[in-house]
Amino acid sequence: MITITRAPPYLTVQNGGRKHSRSFGVPRGGAMDLFAIRAINAIVGNSLDAAALEWALGGGAVRFDRDCLFAIGGATARATLSGKIVAPCTTTHAQAGEEFTVEQITSGRFLYLACDGGIDVPVLLGSRSTYLPGRFGGYEGRMLRSGDSVALGAPPATHPAEGFHSAADLMPRYDSEIVHVTAGTQEDLFDESAWRTLTESDYRISTASDRTGYKLEGPALGNSLGTLPSEAGCPGAIQIPGDGLPIALMADAPTVGGYAKIAVVSEADLPILAQRRPGESIRFQLITIEQSQRALKRRQSDIHTISQLASRSSPDWSAEPRT
Amino acid sequence: MTPTPLRAHALGDSAVTIVFGDERSAQLLRRVHSAARSLEAAKIPHVEDVVPAYLALTVFYDPLHASYEEISATLMAACDRATHSSAKAAQSREHRIPVRYNGMDLEAVATSTGLSVEDVIARHSGRTYTVDLLGFVPGFAYLSELDASLQLPRRAQPRPRIAAGSVAIAAAQTAVYPLDTPGGWHIIGSTQTVMFDPTRDAPALLAPGDTVRFERVA
Repeated sequence: MITITRAPPYLTVQNGGRKHSRSFGVPRGGAMDLFAIRAINAIVGNSLDAAALEWALGGGAVRFDRDCLFAIGGATARATLSGKIVAPCTTTHAQAGEEFTVEQITSGRFLYLACDGGIDVPVLLGSRSTYLPGRFGGYEGRMLRSGDSVALGAPPATHPAEGFHSAADLMPRYDSEIVHVTAGTQEDLFDESAWRTLTESDYRISTASDRTGYKLEGPALGNSLGTLPSEAGCPGAIQIPGDGLPIALMADAPTVGGYAKIAVVSEADLPILAQRRPGESIRFQLITIEQSQRALKRRQSDIHTISQLASRSSPDWSAEPRT
Repeated sequence: MTPTPLRAHALGDSAVTIVFGDERSAQLLRRVHSAARSLEAAKIPHVEDVVPAYLALTVFYDPLHASYEEISATLMAACDRATHSSAKAAQSREHRIPVRYNGMDLEAVATSTGLSVEDVIARHSGRTYTVDLLGFVPGFAYLSELDASLQLPRRAQPRPRIAAGSVAIAAAQTAVYPLDTPGGWHIIGSTQTVMFDPTRDAPALLAPGDTVRFERVA
């Protein structure tokens, strides 16, 4: 078990989200930074879709109630285990009773904490993710509070070595100013100048940004189209409401909506956008669907590389084929 | 009438939207629903979800195992076949939802429409609605077509919390709020029927194309 001793302002259980329930109106949800959660699961030797804690908006503390190999990643934080600094994307061994503390999230927005075995909460609609607007999934459909305890799954038979660290070049460049997009379903409803504005301006993340969507501040796109007959959207879709200021839909966005979608953030770059804080800027660059899919495959292969390196770091790893 | 040719648009690198036409109509909606059901039944490899809407349906797929070109060609062909096959009876279901007409806006709706409360109830419960689409929140089904005399714009000020089970109307549609959510529709009644339950295999009671009748209970 992990017990929340001092809950941060935001703490939920997440994993890869729900991929087979959109037709019921259930968003994909899941971790805002799907790369980070998979990467740290790989680092601790979990299956990539194991559930982890998604942590945001400030410091707090949790206690490990069993011996545990854990790692943190995504946002950068000043974090300690029983007073000793915890390095990011590195396996750390905690003994039962030790306390993990985040003093401050220093850059980025969503920090992930994965433990060997993963967080064991019931699977609902194929996922352990918390969907706050629907009050289901994760831990009782809500944020974790001080005093809550979440169960951990059985640890995997073999562990990566303590201190195993994933190389920085396998991680997305979170400081990249560029977020790649592909043309959206209503691309041809926008004229040349709207496209120039979207791809040549800096857009700042507004304070009106959460797991549902990030409102962007910058030049408005001229030709607003009002509301169209609703159709499906997706995380990363950039829609243009009446005021002409783009909104990027995020993990918990409703499955359908009526604003024109000029572009969609490449799935490979969605973590970069998700980790941007209010006031920080990005710039959009148009790529093709093929380029976007290739970028996503590279990210996936980076995660497999991390998985392999983690498993080879194991003290009981042997180069002999296993039976 | 020859249907408009289908058009495919990428919705990012993991979904494709197939557009069936440009004008909303009951006929177009039936084509979209029927194609969505065929796609679901076809169990096309690497397809995760099929989400039908008014003019289009969107298919979410696994981009690590299917390219946009491949999957959009497969889906266009499948939708084309579904559209041209002699309309096999869609497997839509009929639902009866018991309603207590006790909503907090019932009187106001009567006043705004110039009808008596009894008339509002009779006109709301007196017809069969079709599920246009699901969305907004899990299990929220947009039902058409509301009696013309009951059609009012949404409330100017949405309420921060509408209780699950609230039966509401706005513009040409009616719906049951499946979860406690914010909402701007006019609340005219309530039902005990569970519209959404994430522990059920089919978590949403209603599916696109289904029909609904509201039955007045005391």
